[in-house]
Amino acid sequence: MPRVAIEAGFFTIPDDPAEPPRLLGSRCQACGEVFYPRRFVCAKCLHEGSDDIELGPRGTLYTWTYVHVPLFAKKDGSVDAYGVGQIDLPEGPRVQSILVGGPEDFAIGMELELELESLGPDKAGDDVVIYRFRPVGEGR
Amino acid sequence: MKIDGVAVAGAGMVRFGHYPDRTVADLAREAGLAALHDAGMTLADVDEAFVGYIQPAAMIGIKAMKELGLTGLPVTHIENASATGLVAFREAAWAVASGRAEVAMAIGFDKMSDMGRGSTSSRGTGRDQLDSTILPAAYFALWAQRRMHDYGTTPETFAAIAAKNWNHGALCPWSDRQPDHEVTVAEVLASRMVSTPLTAMMACPADDGAACVIVASTEWVRAHQPDRRIVRPVASTLRSESYSLGHTFLGPVVGPATMSRDTAFLAYEEAGFGPDDVHLALCHDAFANEELEYYELLGFCPEGEGDRLVAEGATKLGGRIPFNTDGGLLARGHPAGPTGLAMVHEVVQQLRHEAGDRQVEGARTALAHLVGGGSICTVSLFESE
Repeated sequence: MPRVAIEAGFFTIPDDPAEPPRLLGSRCQACGEVFYPRRFVCAKCLHEGSDDIELGPRGTLYTWTYVHVPLFAKKDGSVDAYGVGQIDLPEGPRVQSILVGGPEDFAIGMELELELESLGPDKAGDDVVIYRFRPVGEGR
Repeated sequence: MKIDGVAVAGAGMVRFGHYPDRTVADLAREAGLAALHDAGMTLADVDEAFVGYIQPAAMIGIKAMKELGLTGLPVTHIENASATGLVAFREAAWAVASGRAEVAMAIGFDKMSDMGRGSTSSRGTGRDQLDSTILPAAYFALWAQRRMHDYGTTPETFAAIAAKNWNHGALCPWSDRQPDHEVTVAEVLASRMVSTPLTAMMACPADDGAACVIVASTEWVRAHQPDRRIVRPVASTLRSESYSLGHTFLGPVVGPATMSRDTAFLAYEEAGFGPDDVHLALCHDAFANEELEYYELLGFCPEGEGDRLVAEGATKLGGRIPFNTDGGLLARGHPAGPTGLAMVHEVVQQLRHEAGDRQVEGARTALAHLVGGGSICTVSLFESE
Protein backbone atom coordinates (compact mmCIF):
# COMPACT_ATOMS: atom_id res chain seq x y z
CA MET A 1 0.00 0.00 0.00
CA PRO A 2 1.56 3.38 -0.99
CA ARG A 3 2.21 5.70 1.95
CA VAL A 4 1.02 9.34 1.88
CA ALA A 5 1.65 12.11 4.42
CA ILE A 6 -1.25 13.38 6.56
CA GLU A 7 -0.15 16.69 5.07
CA ALA A 8 2.35 17.40 2.33
CA GLY A 9 5.43 19.54 2.97
CA PHE A 10 6.37 18.58 6.51
CA PHE A 11 8.26 15.30 6.36
CA THR A 12 9.75 12.72 3.99
CA ILE A 13 8.44 9.23 3.38
CA PRO A 14 11.47 7.05 2.51
CA ASP A 15 10.95 4.29 -0.04
CA ASP A 16 12.54 1.84 2.38
CA PRO A 17 10.08 1.34 5.27
CA ALA A 18 12.99 0.53 7.60
CA GLU A 19 14.52 3.97 7.08
CA PRO A 20 13.39 6.79 9.41
CA PRO A 21 11.75 9.88 7.90
CA ARG A 22 13.28 13.38 7.98
CA LEU A 23 11.53 16.65 8.77
CA LEU A 24 11.43 19.29 6.04
CA GLY A 25 13.11 22.41 7.40
CA SER A 26 14.84 25.46 6.01
CA ARG A 27 18.01 27.43 6.70
CA CYS A 28 18.22 31.20 6.40
CA GLN A 29 20.55 32.18 3.55
CA ALA A 30 21.84 35.16 5.55
CA CYS A 31 22.18 34.22 9.23
CA GLY A 32 21.98 30.42 9.00
CA GLU A 33 19.15 30.03 11.55
CA VAL A 34 17.30 26.75 10.99
CA PHE A 35 13.51 26.43 11.12
CA TYR A 36 10.82 23.79 11.15
CA PRO A 37 8.51 23.92 9.31
CA ARG A 38 9.92 25.62 6.21
CA ARG A 39 9.62 29.39 5.95
CA PHE A 40 10.67 32.04 3.46
CA VAL A 41 11.32 35.07 5.71
CA CYS A 42 13.85 34.46 8.49
CA ALA A 43 12.17 34.83 11.91
CA LYS A 44 15.48 35.95 13.41
CA CYS A 45 17.05 38.39 10.91
CA LEU A 46 14.09 38.97 8.54
CA HIS A 47 16.18 38.03 5.48
CA GLU A 48 14.02 37.00 2.53
CA GLY A 49 15.17 33.64 1.23
CA SER A 50 15.99 30.25 2.68
CA ASP A 51 17.40 26.92 1.56
CA ASP A 52 15.44 23.71 2.00
CA ILE A 53 17.09 21.16 4.27
CA GLU A 54 16.12 17.90 5.93
CA LEU A 55 16.21 17.59 9.73
CA GLY A 56 16.56 14.69 12.13
CA PRO A 57 16.00 11.87 12.55
CA ARG A 58 17.27 12.22 16.15
CA GLY A 59 16.62 14.77 18.86
CA THR A 60 16.60 15.35 22.63
CA LEU A 61 13.44 15.42 24.75
CA TYR A 62 12.97 18.93 26.22
CA THR A 63 9.64 18.21 27.92
CA TRP A 64 6.81 15.68 27.64
CA THR A 65 3.32 14.84 28.84
CA TYR A 66 0.94 11.91 28.55
CA VAL A 67 -2.52 12.89 27.32
CA HIS A 68 -5.49 10.89 28.58
CA VAL A 69 -7.78 11.98 25.74
CA PRO A 70 -8.32 10.20 22.41
CA LEU A 71 -5.98 11.22 19.60
CA PHE A 72 -7.00 14.13 17.36
CA ALA A 73 -9.31 15.45 20.07
CA LYS A 74 -11.53 12.37 20.07
CA LYS A 75 -11.51 11.97 16.28
CA ASP A 76 -9.48 8.78 16.53
CA GLY A 77 -11.15 6.69 19.20
CA SER A 78 -8.75 3.81 18.63
CA VAL A 79 -6.04 5.69 20.53
CA ASP A 80 -7.35 6.66 23.97
CA ALA A 81 -4.13 8.08 25.40
CA TYR A 82 -0.77 9.09 24.00
CA GLY A 83 2.50 10.86 24.71
CA VAL A 84 3.34 14.35 23.48
CA GLY A 85 6.72 16.01 23.63
CA GLN A 86 8.89 18.90 22.59
CA ILE A 87 12.07 17.64 20.95
CA ASP A 88 15.18 19.74 20.41
CA LEU A 89 16.82 18.90 17.10
CA PRO A 90 20.62 19.26 16.88
CA GLU A 91 20.14 21.80 14.06
CA GLY A 92 18.22 24.13 16.45
CA PRO A 93 14.48 23.85 16.03
CA ARG A 94 12.22 22.59 18.84
CA VAL A 95 9.47 20.36 17.49
CA GLN A 96 6.19 19.36 19.12
CA SER A 97 5.29 15.79 18.31
CA ILE A 98 3.42 12.70 19.35
CA LEU A 99 5.64 10.25 21.26
CA VAL A 100 5.59 6.48 21.10
CA GLY A 101 5.38 4.77 24.47
CA GLY A 102 3.72 4.93 27.86
CA PRO A 103 4.18 7.57 30.57
CA GLU A 104 6.89 5.51 32.25
CA ASP A 105 9.00 5.48 29.07
CA PHE A 106 9.85 9.20 28.92
CA ALA A 107 12.48 11.32 30.66
CA ILE A 108 13.62 14.86 29.93
CA GLY A 109 17.01 14.82 28.19
CA MET A 110 16.61 11.37 26.60
CA GLU A 111 17.38 10.76 22.92
CA LEU A 112 14.52 10.03 20.54
CA GLU A 113 14.27 9.02 16.92
CA LEU A 114 11.67 9.81 14.26
CA GLU A 115 9.48 7.14 12.79
CA LEU A 116 6.30 7.01 10.74
CA GLU A 117 3.03 5.75 12.14
CA SER A 118 0.09 4.57 10.07
CA LEU A 119 -3.24 6.31 10.67
CA GLY A 120 -5.11 3.94 8.35
CA PRO A 121 -6.18 4.11 4.72
CA ASP A 122 -7.66 7.19 3.04
CA LYS A 123 -10.47 7.10 0.45
CA ALA A 124 -8.00 6.27 -2.32
CA GLY A 125 -6.73 3.30 -0.35
CA ASP A 126 -3.34 4.88 0.41
CA ASP A 127 -1.81 4.47 3.86
CA VAL A 128 -1.91 7.86 5.63
CA VAL A 129 1.14 8.37 7.86
CA ILE A 130 2.22 10.90 10.51
CA TYR A 131 5.61 11.23 12.21
CA ARG A 132 6.25 10.43 15.84
CA PHE A 133 9.32 10.28 18.05
CA ARG A 134 10.29 7.05 19.82
CA PRO A 135 12.84 6.72 22.63
CA VAL A 136 16.08 5.40 21.12
CA GLY A 137 16.73 1.79 22.02
CA GLU A 138 13.05 0.87 22.26
CA GLY A 139 12.03 -2.12 20.15
CA ARG A 140 10.29 -1.16 16.95
CA MET B 1 1.95 55.28 26.04
CA LYS B 2 -0.06 55.92 29.19
CA ILE B 3 -3.84 55.95 28.83
CA ASP B 4 -5.01 59.34 30.02
CA GLY B 5 -8.46 60.65 30.81
CA VAL B 6 -10.39 57.36 30.47
CA ALA B 7 -12.64 55.81 33.14
CA VAL B 8 -14.99 52.84 33.34
CA ALA B 9 -18.60 54.02 33.03
CA GLY B 10 -20.28 50.64 33.41
CA ALA B 11 -19.79 46.88 33.45
CA GLY B 12 -22.13 43.93 33.22
CA MET B 13 -22.00 40.23 32.48
CA VAL B 14 -23.93 37.00 32.23
CA ARG B 15 -22.74 34.37 34.70
CA PHE B 16 -20.57 31.99 32.70
CA GLY B 17 -21.87 28.45 32.29
CA HIS B 18 -23.80 26.40 29.78
CA TYR B 19 -26.77 27.93 27.99
CA PRO B 20 -27.95 25.35 25.44
CA ASP B 21 -31.25 27.18 24.89
CA ARG B 22 -29.88 30.70 24.42
CA THR B 23 -28.19 32.28 21.39
CA VAL B 24 -25.03 34.36 21.62
CA ALA B 25 -27.06 37.42 20.59
CA ASP B 26 -29.35 36.77 23.54
CA LEU B 27 -26.40 36.49 25.93
CA ALA B 28 -24.83 39.62 24.41
CA ARG B 29 -28.04 41.59 24.92
CA GLU B 30 -28.20 40.67 28.60
CA ALA B 31 -24.56 41.63 29.23
CA GLY B 32 -24.81 44.79 27.11
CA LEU B 33 -27.96 45.99 28.84
CA ALA B 34 -26.44 45.23 32.25
CA ALA B 35 -23.44 47.43 31.39
CA LEU B 36 -25.61 50.21 29.93
CA HIS B 37 -27.80 50.17 33.06
CA ASP B 38 -24.72 50.19 35.28
CA ALA B 39 -23.44 53.19 33.32
CA GLY B 40 -26.85 54.90 33.42
CA MET B 41 -27.07 55.30 29.65
CA THR B 42 -28.55 53.82 26.49
CA LEU B 43 -26.83 52.85 23.27
CA ALA B 44 -27.56 56.37 22.03
CA ASP B 45 -24.74 57.57 24.32
CA VAL B 46 -22.19 55.11 22.91
CA ASP B 47 -19.96 56.47 20.13
CA GLU B 48 -18.19 53.26 19.13
CA ALA B 49 -18.31 49.54 19.90
CA PHE B 50 -15.73 46.74 19.74
CA VAL B 51 -17.18 43.25 19.61
CA GLY B 52 -15.07 40.27 20.69
CA TYR B 53 -15.77 36.65 19.84
CA ILE B 54 -13.83 33.71 18.41
CA GLN B 55 -16.61 31.57 16.98
CA PRO B 56 -16.53 31.40 13.19
CA ALA B 57 -19.95 32.95 12.54
CA ALA B 58 -20.01 35.62 9.84
CA MET B 59 -21.35 39.04 10.85
CA ILE B 60 -22.49 37.79 14.26
CA GLY B 61 -20.83 40.73 16.03
CA ILE B 62 -22.70 43.39 14.11
CA LYS B 63 -25.92 41.41 14.37
CA ALA B 64 -25.54 40.94 18.12
CA MET B 65 -25.01 44.69 18.58
CA LYS B 66 -28.38 45.28 16.91
CA GLU B 67 -29.95 43.59 19.95
CA LEU B 68 -29.02 46.75 21.87
CA GLY B 69 -30.41 49.13 19.24
CA LEU B 70 -29.67 50.53 15.80
CA THR B 71 -27.99 53.89 16.21
CA GLY B 72 -25.49 53.83 13.36
CA LEU B 73 -22.48 53.58 15.68
CA PRO B 74 -19.22 52.13 14.31
CA VAL B 75 -18.81 48.44 15.21
CA THR B 76 -15.54 46.51 14.83
CA HIS B 77 -14.85 42.84 15.39
CA ILE B 78 -11.80 41.98 17.50
CA GLU B 79 -10.44 38.44 17.62
CA ASN B 80 -7.32 37.45 19.53
CA ALA B 81 -8.15 33.93 20.76
CA SER B 82 -8.39 33.69 24.56
CA ALA B 83 -7.27 37.30 24.93
CA THR B 84 -10.10 38.64 22.72
CA GLY B 85 -12.14 40.41 25.41
CA LEU B 86 -9.23 42.22 27.00
CA VAL B 87 -8.01 43.34 23.58
CA ALA B 88 -11.50 44.65 22.72
CA PHE B 89 -11.34 46.56 26.01
CA ARG B 90 -7.96 47.97 25.00
CA GLU B 91 -9.35 49.26 21.72
CA ALA B 92 -12.35 50.84 23.48
CA ALA B 93 -10.07 52.54 26.01
CA TRP B 94 -7.86 53.90 23.25
CA ALA B 95 -10.85 55.06 21.21
CA VAL B 96 -11.71 57.32 24.16
CA ALA B 97 -8.10 58.22 25.00
CA SER B 98 -7.51 59.34 21.42
CA GLY B 99 -10.49 61.69 21.61
CA ARG B 100 -12.22 59.89 18.76
CA ALA B 101 -15.03 58.73 21.09
CA GLU B 102 -16.47 60.17 24.29
CA VAL B 103 -18.01 56.81 25.19
CA ALA B 104 -16.94 53.39 23.85
CA MET B 105 -18.18 49.88 24.48
CA ALA B 106 -16.30 46.57 24.52
CA ILE B 107 -18.61 43.58 24.43
CA GLY B 108 -17.65 39.91 24.20
CA PHE B 109 -19.61 36.70 23.87
CA ASP B 110 -19.06 33.08 22.87
CA LYS B 111 -20.53 29.64 23.29
CA MET B 112 -17.74 27.12 23.69
CA SER B 113 -20.45 24.47 23.98
CA ASP B 114 -21.16 25.06 20.27
CA MET B 115 -17.55 25.10 19.09
CA GLY B 116 -16.51 22.11 17.03
CA ARG B 117 -19.90 20.46 17.37
CA GLY B 118 -20.49 17.98 14.56
CA SER B 119 -17.22 18.90 12.90
CA THR B 120 -14.89 16.08 12.08
CA SER B 121 -12.82 17.89 9.47
CA SER B 122 -9.91 20.28 9.75
CA ARG B 123 -10.61 23.64 11.35
CA GLY B 124 -9.44 25.50 8.27
CA THR B 125 -5.92 25.59 6.91
CA GLY B 126 -4.36 22.28 6.07
CA ARG B 127 -1.77 22.63 8.78
CA ASP B 128 -4.46 22.14 11.42
CA GLN B 129 -4.47 18.50 10.56
CA LEU B 130 -0.93 18.03 11.78
CA ASP B 131 -1.59 20.57 14.56
CA SER B 132 -4.68 18.94 15.91
CA THR B 133 -2.83 15.99 17.41
CA ILE B 134 -1.70 18.23 20.30
CA LEU B 135 -4.33 19.76 22.55
CA PRO B 136 -4.07 22.99 24.56
CA ALA B 137 -4.10 20.88 27.74
CA ALA B 138 -1.07 19.00 26.44
CA TYR B 139 0.71 22.23 25.59
CA PHE B 140 0.37 23.64 29.11
CA ALA B 141 1.18 20.25 30.60
CA LEU B 142 4.48 20.44 28.70
CA TRP B 143 5.19 23.70 30.60
CA ALA B 144 4.25 22.04 33.87
CA GLN B 145 6.54 19.04 33.34
CA ARG B 146 9.49 21.25 32.45
CA ARG B 147 8.78 23.44 35.49
CA MET B 148 8.85 20.38 37.74
CA HIS B 149 12.16 19.35 36.16
CA ASP B 150 13.78 22.79 36.46
CA TYR B 151 12.54 23.92 39.89
CA GLY B 152 11.34 20.81 41.70
CA THR B 153 7.77 22.07 41.67
CA THR B 154 5.28 19.39 42.73
CA PRO B 155 1.72 18.68 41.49
CA GLU B 156 0.58 19.68 45.00
CA THR B 157 1.54 23.28 44.19
CA PHE B 158 -0.53 23.27 41.00
CA ALA B 159 -3.39 21.70 42.97
CA ALA B 160 -3.14 24.37 45.68
CA ILE B 161 -3.53 27.10 43.05
CA ALA B 162 -6.53 25.30 41.54
CA ALA B 163 -8.16 24.80 44.95
CA LYS B 164 -7.65 28.49 45.74
CA ASN B 165 -9.38 29.59 42.54
CA TRP B 166 -12.27 27.13 42.98
CA ASN B 167 -12.73 28.53 46.49
CA HIS B 168 -12.56 32.11 45.22
CA GLY B 169 -15.26 31.15 42.71
CA ALA B 170 -17.54 30.14 45.58
CA LEU B 171 -17.55 33.80 46.65
CA CYS B 172 -18.38 35.24 43.22
CA PRO B 173 -21.99 35.40 41.96
CA TRP B 174 -20.74 35.46 38.35
CA SER B 175 -18.54 32.37 38.70
CA ASP B 176 -19.51 29.24 36.78
CA ARG B 177 -18.00 26.98 39.43
CA GLN B 178 -19.33 27.76 42.90
CA PRO B 179 -18.35 24.75 45.02
CA ASP B 180 -20.58 24.10 48.05
CA HIS B 181 -17.61 23.06 50.16
CA GLU B 182 -13.99 24.03 50.69
CA VAL B 183 -12.09 22.46 47.77
CA THR B 184 -8.90 20.74 48.97
CA VAL B 185 -5.55 19.97 47.37
CA ALA B 186 -6.29 16.25 47.76
CA GLU B 187 -9.59 16.63 45.90
CA VAL B 188 -7.91 18.41 42.98
CA LEU B 189 -5.16 15.78 42.78
CA ALA B 190 -7.71 12.94 42.91
CA SER B 191 -9.73 14.26 39.96
CA ARG B 192 -9.33 12.62 36.54
CA MET B 193 -5.88 12.93 34.93
CA VAL B 194 -6.11 14.96 31.71
CA SER B 195 -2.48 15.39 30.72
CA THR B 196 0.36 14.55 33.11
CA PRO B 197 0.56 16.25 35.64
CA LEU B 198 -2.64 18.26 35.05
CA THR B 199 -5.92 16.90 36.42
CA ALA B 200 -9.44 17.89 35.40
CA MET B 201 -9.84 20.23 38.38
CA MET B 202 -6.65 22.08 37.31
CA ALA B 203 -8.32 22.92 33.97
CA CYS B 204 -10.84 25.65 33.16
CA PRO B 205 -14.34 24.82 31.92
CA ALA B 206 -15.34 25.48 28.29
CA ASP B 207 -18.12 27.96 28.93
CA ASP B 208 -20.84 30.01 27.30
CA GLY B 209 -21.21 33.62 28.35
CA ALA B 210 -21.12 37.32 27.63
CA ALA B 211 -19.63 40.40 29.27
CA CYS B 212 -19.55 44.09 28.52
CA VAL B 213 -17.56 47.10 29.73
CA ILE B 214 -18.27 50.71 28.79
CA VAL B 215 -15.53 53.32 29.07
CA ALA B 216 -15.88 57.09 28.79
CA SER B 217 -13.85 60.20 29.30
CA THR B 218 -13.08 60.77 32.97
CA GLU B 219 -15.02 64.06 32.72
CA TRP B 220 -18.11 62.21 31.50
CA VAL B 221 -17.93 59.67 34.32
CA ARG B 222 -17.26 62.37 36.94
CA ALA B 223 -20.25 64.38 35.71
CA HIS B 224 -22.67 61.47 35.49
CA GLN B 225 -21.52 59.30 38.41
CA PRO B 226 -20.49 61.81 41.09
CA ASP B 227 -21.02 59.41 43.99
CA ARG B 228 -19.03 56.53 42.58
CA ARG B 229 -15.38 55.64 43.06
CA ILE B 230 -13.84 56.18 39.63
CA VAL B 231 -11.94 53.25 38.09
CA ARG B 232 -9.47 54.18 35.35
CA PRO B 233 -7.45 52.04 32.94
CA VAL B 234 -3.98 53.62 32.95
CA ALA B 235 -2.08 51.26 30.65
CA SER B 236 -2.97 48.50 28.22
CA THR B 237 -0.27 46.72 26.27
CA LEU B 238 -0.39 44.05 23.60
CA ARG B 239 2.51 42.07 22.22
CA SER B 240 2.96 39.10 19.92
CA GLU B 241 5.88 36.71 20.07
CA SER B 242 9.47 37.69 19.55
CA TYR B 243 11.75 35.02 18.17
CA SER B 244 14.19 33.07 20.29
CA LEU B 245 15.89 29.72 19.81
CA GLY B 246 13.58 26.89 20.80
CA HIS B 247 10.49 28.61 19.44
CA THR B 248 7.88 26.07 18.34
CA PHE B 249 6.06 27.08 15.18
CA LEU B 250 3.84 24.05 14.67
CA GLY B 251 1.17 22.89 17.10
CA PRO B 252 -0.70 24.90 19.73
CA VAL B 253 1.59 27.64 20.96
CA VAL B 254 1.13 30.13 23.75
CA GLY B 255 4.60 31.31 24.21
CA PRO B 256 7.37 31.90 24.65
CA ALA B 257 6.53 32.47 28.30
CA THR B 258 8.72 35.57 28.33
CA MET B 259 6.06 37.28 26.19
CA SER B 260 4.07 37.80 29.40
CA ARG B 261 7.06 39.43 31.10
CA ASP B 262 7.70 41.79 28.20
CA THR B 263 4.04 42.77 27.94
CA ALA B 264 3.64 43.35 31.69
CA PHE B 265 6.80 45.38 32.11
CA LEU B 266 5.85 47.57 29.18
CA ALA B 267 2.52 48.20 30.94
CA TYR B 268 4.27 49.00 34.25
CA GLU B 269 6.51 51.47 32.43
CA GLU B 270 3.56 53.18 30.80
CA ALA B 271 1.50 53.29 34.00
CA GLY B 272 4.35 54.60 36.13
CA PHE B 273 3.94 51.94 38.80
CA GLY B 274 5.16 48.38 39.20
CA PRO B 275 4.15 45.02 40.63
CA ASP B 276 4.85 46.14 44.22
CA ASP B 277 2.06 48.71 43.82
CA VAL B 278 -0.54 46.28 42.45
CA HIS B 279 -3.23 45.25 44.97
CA LEU B 280 -4.85 42.38 43.04
CA ALA B 281 -4.21 40.55 39.77
CA LEU B 282 -6.17 38.43 37.34
CA CYS B 283 -4.29 36.19 34.93
CA HIS B 284 -4.76 33.50 32.29
CA ASP B 285 -5.20 30.47 34.56
CA ALA B 286 -6.75 28.18 31.94
CA PHE B 287 -4.52 25.60 33.62
CA ALA B 288 -3.35 25.96 37.21
CA ASN B 289 0.36 25.72 36.42
CA GLU B 290 0.14 28.84 34.25
CA GLU B 291 -0.72 30.99 37.26
CA LEU B 292 2.48 29.85 39.00
CA GLU B 293 4.54 30.96 35.99
CA TYR B 294 2.77 34.32 35.82
CA TYR B 295 3.56 35.14 39.49
CA GLU B 296 7.15 35.31 38.29
CA LEU B 297 6.72 36.61 34.75
CA LEU B 298 4.45 39.46 35.90
CA GLY B 299 7.09 40.41 38.49
CA PHE B 300 5.32 39.51 41.73
CA CYS B 301 8.29 37.40 42.85
CA PRO B 302 11.72 36.47 41.50
CA GLU B 303 12.08 33.61 39.02
CA GLY B 304 11.72 30.21 40.67
CA GLU B 305 10.07 31.58 43.82
CA GLY B 306 6.43 31.25 42.79
CA ASP B 307 6.13 28.00 44.73
CA ARG B 308 6.92 29.89 47.93
CA LEU B 309 4.11 32.40 47.25
CA VAL B 310 1.70 29.46 47.04
CA ALA B 311 3.07 27.86 50.22
CA GLU B 312 2.66 31.17 52.06
CA GLY B 313 -0.89 31.67 50.76
CA ALA B 314 0.18 35.07 49.42
CA THR B 315 -2.08 34.85 46.37
CA LYS B 316 -5.27 33.90 48.26
CA LEU B 317 -7.86 36.47 49.24
CA GLY B 318 -6.40 38.06 52.37
CA GLY B 319 -2.84 37.39 51.18
CA ARG B 320 -0.18 39.86 50.05
CA ILE B 321 -1.21 39.83 46.36
CA PRO B 322 -4.53 38.04 45.73
CA PHE B 323 -4.73 36.42 42.28
CA ASN B 324 -7.94 35.63 40.40
CA THR B 325 -10.25 36.92 43.11
CA ASP B 326 -13.37 35.93 41.13
CA GLY B 327 -12.17 32.36 40.61
CA GLY B 328 -10.24 33.08 37.44
CA LEU B 329 -10.62 31.12 34.22
CA LEU B 330 -10.53 27.97 36.37
CA ALA B 331 -13.74 28.72 38.28
CA ARG B 332 -15.40 31.87 36.97
CA GLY B 333 -14.99 30.30 33.55
CA HIS B 334 -13.52 30.84 30.11
CA PRO B 335 -15.83 31.30 27.11
CA ALA B 336 -12.98 33.07 25.20
CA GLY B 337 -14.60 36.21 23.75
CA PRO B 338 -15.99 37.61 27.02
CA THR B 339 -13.27 36.29 29.35
CA GLY B 340 -11.16 39.47 29.42
CA LEU B 341 -14.23 41.62 29.93
CA ALA B 342 -15.27 39.46 32.89
CA MET B 343 -11.81 40.25 34.29
CA VAL B 344 -12.41 43.97 33.90
CA HIS B 345 -15.87 43.46 35.46
CA GLU B 346 -14.15 41.95 38.52
CA VAL B 347 -11.54 44.74 38.61
CA VAL B 348 -14.40 47.26 38.60
CA GLN B 349 -16.20 45.52 41.50
CA GLN B 350 -12.96 45.40 43.48
CA LEU B 351 -11.81 48.96 42.83
CA ARG B 352 -15.28 50.34 43.51
CA HIS B 353 -15.11 48.38 46.79
CA GLU B 354 -18.31 46.56 45.87
CA ALA B 355 -16.92 43.00 45.75
CA GLY B 356 -18.70 41.74 48.89
CA ASP B 357 -17.15 38.72 50.58
CA ARG B 358 -14.21 38.65 48.19
CA GLN B 359 -13.31 42.34 48.54
CA VAL B 360 -9.58 43.02 48.66
CA GLU B 361 -9.41 45.53 51.47
CA GLY B 362 -8.51 49.01 50.34
CA ALA B 363 -7.81 47.90 46.76
CA ARG B 364 -6.83 50.85 44.57
CA THR B 365 -4.86 49.19 41.75
CA ALA B 366 -5.31 46.03 39.70
CA LEU B 367 -3.72 44.08 36.85
CA ALA B 368 -5.44 41.96 34.21
CA HIS B 369 -3.42 39.60 32.00
CA LEU B 370 -4.37 37.26 29.21
CA VAL B 371 -2.52 35.25 26.63
CA GLY B 372 -4.12 34.11 23.40
CA GLY B 373 -3.13 31.18 21.21
CA GLY B 374 -1.03 31.86 18.17
CA SER B 375 0.21 33.69 20.22
CA ILE B 376 -0.17 37.10 21.84
CA CYS B 377 -0.30 38.63 25.32
CA THR B 378 -2.16 41.62 26.69
CA VAL B 379 -1.92 43.35 30.08
CA SER B 380 -4.10 46.15 31.44
CA LEU B 381 -3.43 48.17 34.59
CA PHE B 382 -6.11 50.01 36.53
CA GLU B 383 -6.28 52.46 39.38
CA SER B 384 -9.12 54.03 41.30
CA GLU B 385 -9.52 57.50 42.70
